[in-house]
This record gives sequence, structure tokens and C-alpha cells, in this order.
Amino acid sequence: MSPRMSEYPQVLFKNRVPGETVLIDGYRTTGGYTALEKAFKELDPATIRDQVKRANLRGRGGAGFPTGIKWSFFPADQPGEKYLVCNCDEMEPGTYKDRELLKADPHQLIEGVIIAAFALQTPVAYIFIRYAFEDCAANLDRAVAEAAAAGYLGKNILGSGFDCEIHVHRSAGRYILGEETALLNGLEGKRPNPRSKPPFPAVRGLFGQPTTVNNVETLANVPHIINHGAEWFKGLARTLEGAGTKLFGLSGHLERTACFELPVGILLREVVEEVGGGVRGGRTFKACLPGGASTPYLTAAQLDTPLDFEPLEAVGSRFGTAGVTVFDDTTCMVAATLNLIRFFARESCGWCTPCRDGLPVVAWLLDKIEAGKATFDDIDMLKDQFRNISGRSFCALAEGAMGPVAGLLNHFEQELADHVIKGRCPLKKK
Amino acid sequence: MPTLTIDNQPVTVAEGTTIIQAAERLGLVIPHFCYHEALGAAGSCRLCAVRIEKGPLKGIQMACMIPAQDGMVVTTLDPEAVEFRAHVAEWAMTDHPHDCPVCDEGGECQLQEMTIAAGHGTRRFRGLKRTYPNQDLGPFIVQEMNRCIQCYRCVRTYRDYCGGTDYGTFGSRNRVAYGRVTAGRLASPFSGNIIDLCPTGVLTDKTFRFKCRSWDLQEAPSVCPHCSLGCNTLPGARYRELLRVKARVNRAVNGFFICDRGRFGHGYQNHPQRLREPHVDGESVSWNDALAAVHERISQTTEHHGHGTVAFLGSRRATLEANLLLGQWAAATGCTRTVYECHPEFDRIARTVAARLGDQRRSPGDIQRSDFILLIGAEPLAEAPVLALAIRQAKRNGARIVILDPRPPQLPCAFEHLPLTPEQLQLALEQLATKKFKGWTRDESTTLRNLGKDLTAAQNPVIIGAGALLGAAGIERLFDLVDASSPAARPCGVLVPLAGPNSYAAGLLSNGGPDFDDLLDAILNGMVKTLVCLETDPFEDYPQHGRAQSALAQLESLIVLDALPTQTTRHADIVLPTTVPVESDGCYINHEGRLQAFAKVLDPGLSVAVTGGGDHPPRIFEQSAPGNLPRPAWAILAEILKLPTETAALRQQLARTDNRFAALTQIHRAAEGEIVTAIGIPPRPQDDDGAVESSVPGSLQLWPIDTFGGADIFSTYSVHLDPLRDEPYILLADEDAKQRGLTDGAGAVLTSELGHLKVRVRCTATIPAGIAFLPHLLRGATAGFVPGGGALSCTLKSVEGEA
Repeated sequence: MSPRMSEYPQVLFKNRVPGETVLIDGYRTTGGYTALEKAFKELDPATIRDQVKRANLRGRGGAGFPTGIKWSFFPADQPGEKYLVCNCDEMEPGTYKDRELLKADPHQLIEGVIIAAFALQTPVAYIFIRYAFEDCAANLDRAVAEAAAAGYLGKNILGSGFDCEIHVHRSAGRYILGEETALLNGLEGKRPNPRSKPPFPAVRGLFGQPTTVNNVETLANVPHIINHGAEWFKGLARTLEGAGTKLFGLSGHLERTACFELPVGILLREVVEEVGGGVRGGRTFKACLPGGASTPYLTAAQLDTPLDFEPLEAVGSRFGTAGVTVFDDTTCMVAATLNLIRFFARESCGWCTPCRDGLPVVAWLLDKIEAGKATFDDIDMLKDQFRNISGRSFCALAEGAMGPVAGLLNHFEQELADHVIKGRCPLKKK
Repeated sequence: MPTLTIDNQPVTVAEGTTIIQAAERLGLVIPHFCYHEALGAAGSCRLCAVRIEKGPLKGIQMACMIPAQDGMVVTTLDPEAVEFRAHVAEWAMTDHPHDCPVCDEGGECQLQEMTIAAGHGTRRFRGLKRTYPNQDLGPFIVQEMNRCIQCYRCVRTYRDYCGGTDYGTFGSRNRVAYGRVTAGRLASPFSGNIIDLCPTGVLTDKTFRFKCRSWDLQEAPSVCPHCSLGCNTLPGARYRELLRVKARVNRAVNGFFICDRGRFGHGYQNHPQRLREPHVDGESVSWNDALAAVHERISQTTEHHGHGTVAFLGSRRATLEANLLLGQWAAATGCTRTVYECHPEFDRIARTVAARLGDQRRSPGDIQRSDFILLIGAEPLAEAPVLALAIRQAKRNGARIVILDPRPPQLPCAFEHLPLTPEQLQLALEQLATKKFKGWTRDESTTLRNLGKDLTAAQNPVIIGAGALLGAAGIERLFDLVDASSPAARPCGVLVPLAGPNSYAAGLLSNGGPDFDDLLDAILNGMVKTLVCLETDPFEDYPQHGRAQSALAQLESLIVLDALPTQTTRHADIVLPTTVPVESDGCYINHEGRLQAFAKVLDPGLSVAVTGGGDHPPRIFEQSAPGNLPRPAWAILAEILKLPTETAALRQQLARTDNRFAALTQIHRAAEGEIVTAIGIPPRPQDDDGAVESSVPGSLQLWPIDTFGGADIFSTYSVHLDPLRDEPYILLADEDAKQRGLTDGAGAVLTSELGHLKVRVRCTATIPAGIAFLPHLLRGATAGFVPGGGALSCTLKSVEGEA
């Protein structure tokens, strides 16, 4: 644990003890389920939705769409079948925050799901979780059973007249299932190809009914907002426009690579140098992925960027999932990008041409460049592939895959050229 | 009605039209792979990118996904869009094997066309291509997966449109593959459509494989002769052989699709047993001698026995032209006994339909827009397969499908099924019309009463029934029900599949005249001595074979015009060989009275594959093709009548003579055919109410039925359809099988008045007890069991050791 961790307010990780899982009793001793009781006894669904909107909670799954606005599209007050789906198909490389959260404190999610289900008036909620997170799924199964035994789930919760059931669905797990409409197809037992939008899930989602899909961390924040209020939540962030804390998954060439809860808006430098303990072995910081594999690289020149949605967009990257992967000066960025592109090409669902057949072409080009067999024509071709894949695919997968390529072309063009000029990777010893 | 601008040209389109469709209206083809009019947009290939300059969504967008909006400005020539489309084609082509010189799709390949249209020339990717193993998809379709560009059209056609379940998408990323879980024949009766819909050579016609390059084919617009729907087809032939059949677009009839019977049932044209030479008394003679013999026999008969002793029998599968000329010839000889259908029950049905259809006629295209479809005693997959496809589209559009039928229904969509016996079907027809329900259990009468109410409440209901189970009396009741369910504001639709491609014309032409039973009586009474049969087989098609045989044996002369050997041609004194539909121009009138013309695809003749002795190209050169003697029946009849033997002139003459068919003069130009609005004369009232005779205890009520494999003569002479034909089986209720010690798949002997027959047992829980079904196979063991003649009484015993 970082010596300065006491300076960072701990909300989602306040009960976290490494290697242990908090059960319902432990969760209650630190104020667990008080938000739920407050919501059901004192608040009506519209007030809850309004509070979440005012808290400026933004989706923690990577896209950062404001949760309150997403909820405002949902026909909560209309009768009929409706669903809430929690997306726990965490598979962004460098991202492992939801897993850490569910390992440590699964009741936070259960409480968040029940409050959200009440706010959205959906009597059925699904938690869609990767098969690989079996320990987390088992935690969730137990937490659902405990919550039901305590009267927080089932019929007529706390005498409110509202019924809610939660199903924990173990998925076969592919990267594409993180895309919400592909997830809904997967949940229905169909091929997980994304659906065309419109209609959006709020209109036609799971089984053709209105559906809201939210990330694990997003929903886990809801009880805290209900307990402490929107202003408190906004105050947790270090930027004016930001709100809340964020779970950061640190990986790569750092001294300390673990998941930490840090305020939104913390400077990248502070994350790297203080929380992460600096670059491994005293080496120099070369670049990092600020928010998972699909976000463009940042370089040392951008170390003083606050880690929040708008500031990162201003420097040409994205906040994403806050999975920070750091590369030191021995890293070949062509090789690193090739590694990432191979992942995206492998995870393409195969629906649209730019992603299915374009990404393998990009991987082939990067492989050729890395092997020192490329010409400047190949670098031009890499640029035209980037230009034509970006923004042209059916869903955001290929768009995300172009993130590191954008970073490579923007910040490391000389390194690309060196591969061609030297006829080999300049970072590898002869 | 939004008006938008595409490439500086304004166009006004209906609400909901997409940009790609609007562009098509202007004659602008935006390159595309996955979009297809019948399948809609998928947005997967990304080839149809355009720039939207003005509109709610700006920038590069997919033209197939965006609905046209008023004031929208679109350009297809934007440099960014052009560059992107070239990239999409290049990506799609990265793994394509470029084996066009050996690919059957070559010359009609949408991938070739769209790759050129998208501006992609040289592939820059030099890595390893991904390859696939291919799967054996059965006798009809060849798969070459390496050519695939993953447009998902085949699965969207097979699963979504046609309702098949045994073909789908496997794998992910650039290893997406389409196929079955295990190799084997595709089970859907519409499987061949994936050949037409595949934009490249992944799925090609196995029966056509390596026979011909597509640009060498002789092709002409045609109409399928296998059932009464009249689906539009595009047959292709070369070297005097019909090689393949593709679907041709007719939005009112078959849309873009045909069934596998129509597609792969083309072997009849080149069947080795085709009748190729005129015969008189078993001797091969010249046309002149044959026609002289015809003239002589007819004048002899008239001289010896007086006027009216020559009778004429028309046909459900002869062209309208030939049937009309047969009528003229009959009139010229003083014949008062011209019959156009040798199956009296089907004759009555055709007359009823021609007399009563009117504005309530529905085409398969109309069926798709229906919200309530009631099928009574109809099995579309057997009687009119593409109708089943139309019903599925109605279901996909939200229609309710209800089936009253004793057989387990085989529709490719969800439905509600009430298994009623054939007698109960008659009762249901009657009582749904009168709304008074008697003779049912409480549950049954509630169901029927609700059905009656829902039928009245529906916006656009259609009732579908067929003759094999209902009989003529049942079809008359069906029309009474349709009339009773048609308040002035909203007529109830009706669709009755008929026995053959031109049955409607036969019903119209009969003009209240005698039926074949009357004709047989006249022969037996010695009042008819000579019979001329036009492309019909009364020996096989008349339900009581014995009666037909003994009557026809009394004729002095039997003159037959036909293309393929039948029992009738075998008994004939004079045989005049005729062409099959693809070998001549002609017209059919389909089940709804739609007159449709088809054009000659090829000249008759023995195929080069036969005459070339294995040489290719053939080394024997002659002035005329061997085996080219068959002539269109209408041309033979026109010559006898000294009328023009050229299509256009003849049609002019026929249209003048019978103004019901005035449309004949222009019919070759009518893209969707012309509805014949003339009203036929209904059949005379009949005492027989179709009730089944009471039978001996322990016996079953046996109903011969048609099946998808087809019982029409063209299907039975098409060897490619053999895999679709069943060995004789009997379908009966579980409890009936159990009582007789029979299990599913066991061998049994069926005994009826037609003798003994070995059959395989198929049992199911849904059939009412006491009823059994036997498939009618025209040239097979069950040839004697003709559908539409009512039920037979039969017994069934297990065969020892064959279980």
C-alpha cells in the first residue's frame, strides 16, 4: 500500500481487506444497506434518479456517459416488462477494477443494483459476468442469497410494494460482450454481435423490452450518492467538472501495480510517481495507456494531465476505464501496439468488414514494420488504414482498437521511421 | 413523403425508404454486399458509405442504414466516401482466393462487380490468407468457404427469411464461417435460395457445377410449372440441355425466392425417356404422316359414328394457348364434350375458384401483409411451397397463424394448430360461417367460437384451403365461409392452391361443360369413340384407375399430345411429341387468376452431352439437331386449325376470338402478369357431400396426400429431386400404431382396395385417431393412391423381422 493512501478518501474500497471478502454483516457495520433503506422508505424513484443526475456520476465502463442522463431516457414510469443489466464482462486489457471490487465487497454492487432497479422500476435485474470471474460470481451468488434472506430482495421489499429479483449470469466471455447491445444478444442466447442503434436499449433492449445497462463500478457508487448526497460526491473529485472517486488499475513498468481508489482528476504524474511508486528500476517514463488498451498513448510531456474525462480528451486521449499501463524507455511502441492490435483483431466479433478484415491488415503492417521489413509506403498504408477504420465500423470496438494506433502515429512517428531506416527494431539489441 | 437530394438530383420517396433505395430510384447503384431488398439492411459490410452533407446525421454514413429525410443532401462521390469504399473492398478481398477462372459464379458475381464499382484494384496485403475447410451441404449446394466475404446474407436468407434452423454462423473475427453443425443436406425446402442470395461463389448450384459459364447460358424469363403458384424463374440452358433454374423477381408472386422443387426439379427437360418422335400405332413416323393419321382417324370416327363422337381432354399443365386451341378444334369437329381436367374433384375446385374468387383473391405477396391467416386442410409445403414462405413473412410481421388440419403442420414458422379430422374440417367450415357450433367438445367449441370472432375482428384476414383433404364440397364451403367473413368494409381474402400450373385456366375454360366422369360415361355408352388428350394423363390422374382403364380401353382411337411418357401415351394409338414449358413460349394462369407469359429458353433436341458421345465440343455436325422433333402443343394445334404458328400472331387471334383473354396480346410485356377478371361458371350442384363411407372395424381412413418431393409429372421426371422423395410411408396416430403393435420406423403391409403395399410406419401424437396419410408418388409404388379422391379404407399389419 502506498504510504500516502491515507490522503485519498476511500469510498468503494473502504471495507477492502486484501484476500478477504466482506459478508453482509461486515458490510452493514460500515453503513451497508442504509442507502437502500433510505431509498425505499424516504425517497421515490424520481428523486433517486434526480440525485444520481445531480451527482454527475459518469459511466465507469469506459465510455463515461452520464448515468443520470442515461436513466432519464428510460421509461421508468411506464408499465410493462423492463430490465436492468449490470455489465461485468470486464475484459479491457489493463483493467481489473470490477474484479477487485467484487472480490472485496460484493454487497456494494447488490445494494446499487437494487436501488437502481427501484429507481428505474425494473423488477428483474441481470448481472452479466465473465466465466473467468468465477470467484466473483460465487461472491455475488452468496451476496444475492444473503440480501434476499435479509429482505432486501424478493417480493415487497421493505414494505414498499416493489419486487426485485437478481440473476447472476455467467457468460462465455468475449471482449465484444462489453458492448452493451452485444451483451444483450449474448444474454438472450444469440451470437453476441452488436445491434444497430437506434433503437437504443432504453427503447428496445433485452428480449425487446426497455433496458438499462450499467457498469459494476457505476452501480456500486449509487448507494454512496444516496447516503451522502450529490454535492459530497462531486466534492470527492479534484477537478471542478469531475465527480467521485475512480478505481485505477495500475499495470506495466511501475514499482507498484495494483488497483487503487483515487480521486477523479488526480494528476497522471501523481499516479505514476506516488501511487505507482515510479517507473520500474528507476527507468524513464516513455508512455502510458491512461484508460485501458483502447485509449491513445500519453507521453512524458502529458504527465501533468488531470485524469478525468475532459482533460484527457483535450490531450487527444480518453479516460476509459482508468486502467493505467505504463511503458518505460526500453519499450518498442511498435511492438506494444502490435500486441494490442492482435488482441483487438482476435476479439472482433466478425460482423463488420473494417474490424473483421481491417484489423488483421493493421496487425500485418505493424508486424512487418517491427520485423524491419517495411518501407515508408507501409507507414503510409498504416496511416490510411487508421484513417479509414476510425469511426467507420459498426460498433466502437475497431474505433477503440485505433486508439493506440492514433497514439503511435501522433507521438512515435520517428520510432516508426527508425524501424524502416534501420531495417530492424531500433530498441532491440543487435 | 420526404424529398432529398442525392448527387444533385432530387428524389421523393415513401416514408421509411433508406438512402440506398432512394438512390436506386434515381438509377444510382451505391456499391453494397450485405444489403438486399428482401433481407433489408444489416450494416455489416460497410460498402455503401456515402457522405450526408445536410441532415440530422452528417458525415460518412451507411446508405442502407439511414432513412431518407426531407431536405437531406447526400453525395456518393465525396472523396472520403470513395476512399473508404475502396478500402472496404480491399479488406473484403484480403483473403479471397481470386479463383474466378474456375468459379461457377464468374460472370454473375456481385463481388466482382462491387469490387470494381468500389474502385479497388491491387491488393496490398501480402500476408498469409486465412483458409477454411469446406462442408458437404448435400446434393444441391456446393460450399467454397474460402471465397466468403462474410456478408451474412446466406444466414439471413436461410434462417430469418426461410425459417431454416440447420445452417448458421460459426466462429468470430476473420474466421467467421457459415454452415451446419455437421455436414449433411440442408433441411429447408427453400435452401437453394442461398445460392441466389450469395453475392459470390461460396454457395453455388451443385446440379449446375462446372457445366457452363454463366455468359454462355441461353436464358429467358419463365414461370415455374411445378405448382399453381406460378413463381417467376430464370432457367438457363446450353447445348440443348436445361442446366439450372434461378428465381426471377416478381414482387406480387414469389418476391426473390423459389422453392427447391422449382429450382432443382429441371431434369425433366433432358430426361432420356422424353418423347421425341411422332408415333402412329407404335411406329415412328414423320410429322406429316402423323398429322395425316390424326386427320384420318378423326374424320373416320365422325363419318362412322356421327358428329360429337370425338372428344377432347385439355390439361392443367398445357399452356393457355394450347387449351384454347383445343377448344376451337373441338368446336370444329362438333364436339360437345370438351373437358379440361381429368380429375373430377379438382375440376370442380378449379371451376369454383374461377367462378367465386373475385376481389378476394390473394397472392403470396398479399399474404405477407395479412394479419390473420387461417389454414384449413392445406399443406402449403406440398401444394404451393412458396406460400409457406409468404406465411412466414406474415408471421414475422406480426400475423397470427391458425391451422385446422389432421396432419402435423410443417410451416417454417410458429403457429397454433387444432388437429381436426377431415369430417370435422367440413363441420368447422360450415359452422364458422353460420357461427352456430354443434357437435364439438366444450373446449373445441370455445376455440372455434373465438376463432370466428378473431376472424371477424382481423384487419386483413386470409383463409387458405386445398382440395386434397377438403374436396370440392369443402372448397365450396370455404368460399361460403369467406363470404360470411367479408363485411362490405373489409373483404376476407382467400387462397386455394390448385392442382397444376394452369388449373385456373382449365376451370375458366370448362364453361359449365361436362366433367371427366360424364366423358367416361359417354365412352362406356359408346357415344365417344375417339379421344384427343392434350398433355394430360387420365390413366394416372383420374382417382379410380380401374374405371378409367376399362372406359379408355373401349376407344377406337386415343390421340395423345405429350412431352413425357405416361400411362396414357403408352396406351395411345397416335402420340404427338410436344415441348416442355422451357422449350416454347406460352402462358399459364395461376391460382389467383394471374395470367403470366413465359418465353422459350431453348429449342428441343437431344443434348450434346448425349449426342456428342463424350466429345466436347461435339465432332458431328448436322443441319438440324437430333431429337428436335417435339413441337409446342399450341403450334401443332394451330397447324391443324390452319392458324398462325407464330406466337404473337396466334395470341392476337386468340385474344380476338375470346375476349376474356384480351391481355394475351400484351402479356409478354407485363412484369407482374395480368389478372384475368372474367368470371367462370360454377360447377353444378353435387349430391355427394364428401362424407367418408363407413368402414370395417379395425380399418383406418387412408388419405393419399402430396408431399414436398412433388407428385407433378415434371418433378417425378427430375432425377435431382430423388433425395427429396420419400420411400412409401404411412403417417398415423401413436395410439393407432400401438394398437397394431407398430412403432415408428417399423415396416408394415397396407391393404386396401388397391391391393397390398409395403410401407414404413411414421407415427405422431398430433394426428386424430383412425386417420392415416400416404404420400402420392406419381411414378412410385403409391402411384395408384391419387389425392383428392376422398379417403380409402385400409388395414395395416406389421411385417415380421422388418421392424
